[in-house]
Amino acid sequence: MEIKEKLKQVLIDELNLEDVTPGEIGDDEALFGDGLGLDSLDAVELVVVVQKHFGVEIKDMEEGRPALQSINSLAAFIEAKQQA
Amino acid sequence: MSAMQINGLGLVGGFGCGRGDLQQALLHGRAPLSHVELRGHSFPLLQADTSPLETYLNKRALRRIDHFSRMALLGAFQAMADAEWSDPDPSRVGLVIGSGYGAMRTTFDFLDSVLDDGDICASPTAFSNSVHNAAAAHISIQLKMTGPSLTISQFDQSLVSGLVSAHQWLSEKRVDAVLLGVVDEYCSVAGYCWERYFNVQDARTMTPLDFTRTSAVAGEGAVFLLLQSDRDTKPRYGSISNVEMGNLSGSQPTTVSSHPLILGCEGSSLSGSVYQKHLAVDQPVACYTPLYGASPVTQGFDLAVAALALRRQQLFPSVDNGGSYYPGKVVNEPQACRKLSCLKYGFNGEYAAIHLERD
Amino acid sequence: MSRAVAITGAGCLCAAGMSLDSSFDSMIRGERKPQPPRSFYSDHTEAYPVFELYDSLPATDVDGELLRTTLLAISATMEAIADAGFIGNELAQLRVGVCIGTTVGSAMNNEEFYSEFRKGADPDMAPIDRYLRSNPAAAIARHYQLDGPCQTVVNACSSGTDAIGIGAAWIRSGYCDIVLAGGADELCRVTYNGFASLMIYDALPVKPFDVHRKGLNLGEGAGIMVLESDKLLAKRKKTPRGYVLGYGSATDAYHLTAPHPDGRGLRRAISEALQTAAVSPEQMAFVNAHGTGTPDNDKVESLVIADLFPGVPFVSTKGYTGHTLGAAGAIEATLTLMCLERQKLPENIGFKTADPQLLIQPVSRVTEIDGTIALSESLAFGGNNSAVVIALERLP
Repeated sequence: MEIKEKLKQVLIDELNLEDVTPGEIGDDEALFGDGLGLDSLDAVELVVVVQKHFGVEIKDMEEGRPALQSINSLAAFIEAKQQA
Repeated sequence: MSAMQINGLGLVGGFGCGRGDLQQALLHGRAPLSHVELRGHSFPLLQADTSPLETYLNKRALRRIDHFSRMALLGAFQAMADAEWSDPDPSRVGLVIGSGYGAMRTTFDFLDSVLDDGDICASPTAFSNSVHNAAAAHISIQLKMTGPSLTISQFDQSLVSGLVSAHQWLSEKRVDAVLLGVVDEYCSVAGYCWERYFNVQDARTMTPLDFTRTSAVAGEGAVFLLLQSDRDTKPRYGSISNVEMGNLSGSQPTTVSSHPLILGCEGSSLSGSVYQKHLAVDQPVACYTPLYGASPVTQGFDLAVAALALRRQQLFPSVDNGGSYYPGKVVNEPQACRKLSCLKYGFNGEYAAIHLERD
Repeated sequence: MSRAVAITGAGCLCAAGMSLDSSFDSMIRGERKPQPPRSFYSDHTEAYPVFELYDSLPATDVDGELLRTTLLAISATMEAIADAGFIGNELAQLRVGVCIGTTVGSAMNNEEFYSEFRKGADPDMAPIDRYLRSNPAAAIARHYQLDGPCQTVVNACSSGTDAIGIGAAWIRSGYCDIVLAGGADELCRVTYNGFASLMIYDALPVKPFDVHRKGLNLGEGAGIMVLESDKLLAKRKKTPRGYVLGYGSATDAYHLTAPHPDGRGLRRAISEALQTAAVSPEQMAFVNAHGTGTPDNDKVESLVIADLFPGVPFVSTKGYTGHTLGAAGAIEATLTLMCLERQKLPENIGFKTADPQLLIQPVSRVTEIDGTIALSESLAFGGNNSAVVIALERLP
């Protein structure tokens, strides 16, 4: 499964976003604040989700913040780390 | 002690949700018994259903909120609505929550995340929700309560310990009202421990007034009361005139044989022996535990029953009628009631007594 | 009428020392030794430092019947009771309340038990038995055969401060003549993994208020105060060490883990503490800050301190003790008392470089203080905020 599709599904499952379908999450949509509306607790949960489902570590929020902006940025981050 | 008025009630448990469901269960003398799967067999449980919470909060708002906090939120929302309070100032309402065991299920969910995938995959959401005051945090956020907040962990004395603090805050005028709740949840670990400690064979009917037998059925739920200082207007339910907590090794709770006593006995022979030793034969008693099951919330439900009884000035017949095993007086017919008490003993001699009245 | 409640005894165990005196003295000497945990293992790549107690505890537990948290609580209580001049069975004759803050002490989270249970095995019930016996307030009451109100406060990181405020209120209202009030918490894998998962655990020794701070370090310990009624004081002809003058608490009602950015709950808690103590901010000799070393906490707290206590020195002692969760507020209350008695503050160890985002800085060396009143504050997960005013004199 393509990283972006898997990310969207995993996001919905792990963050319990019952009212959202993968199709409703835009690749470029802001995950935090006004877009999908996630918050700081979701951010650290996402770090664990990325580790668990993709085997990629986000060492700290300096690294994490830009990566967690959107599905696109997160997929790119994961791909880069997996290829390294 | 200056009196505290009970002016709002919210509750969810094995009998259903809200004072209407509890009242029905009291009038019929029974509550629906559920069964949950435990290690491949069936475990009887007086289970709480929190789906009515969706009338107050939508799915998105509830997405990170666990069963424990859902029960608490449901109790809290109901109690505030029940108070029919026009224009309350939530910054002047204190919050006190007692729980015997806390959000156990979430604690084990956190351990699952560690045991399944390693320490680095520990779930921060599960951790944050397993912290004891998480339910208080969710309630304060949803109800915008910015006053003092206190969460207490005192096993079966959690309610009475909370009442001591609620009274303290009201008499010192720190707040205008206290939303006091007690919450406990079932989880499979608790069920398992239950079976290891109690030899309960296929229990169906609780007979808590039989102090020599173990007939306990597990329960869970939440009870919330809105408490205010005594005032000119009559209370919606009744008033708590005194609260006593201590240990039988040093003192005794006050009981008056003309006032009925709601006993928080739970069908455990361990604490049963304490009741047996300390109850006078001429003391009229009632026990409603079979409607909600055994848990630290039991005395909270007893207090709710007392509140409902005072409102109609009539005590409900005991659900356990005392059979041939209870030697004393059991209230088996509805009777006029303007003063009563709730009493619970722990197996180490701890006692918790709440005295109520209605003018 | 004075609301002051007498403090006749104090006890403290933490990584800085096994007694209140030795803890204070080692802080004045600027000593600290955070290390990776010894009592448990974790598979994080970083070995996050903890502030652990290595010495055996004064409270013995030959049968392994009690949680370590409860033993810490009893140990500190032993010091406090001796300090207050009670011996033998004296307390059992009085009406004594016990109010103890904790986090781990009330958590049923034994990993070995649960791990076995999950596999479908039948684990030894000893950890559950231990948990059921270990409610800190009930265990202290049982240990000393006390009869009175019992309350284990589980308000996360403000529990210790809350317990002292609540205990003082019980004395004022006449529920009891004595209250043993404080907090205790042990180090454990669950909280260690929990705070690491929130990414607020610094892999280096904690640096409260420093520009390079990355988070907290956990610690363990206990702090207990003996609070006493005037009636009993007069009878015993005892001179108190100090007084709890006031207490306040309030809720942010903002987020499950993050503090309100303007510190609205903290402001209200401080305001109530000062008002109930009938003192003004300028009268504070110093403020003992919560100062966990997390970016958020220290930012919010410094904003509030700068606003409400301009010119008042402040220090976080967590650089010496780590964050002891339910014990923190109580340990810090006992340290606040010591600092007033000795008229000096330890340096805010860990702080080296000012953060330009913070308007004020903590004391960076041992500092002489002038005054007999101080405030200690705590901010907790869930948005609880508490503050207590401690003084050497009843009516300053």
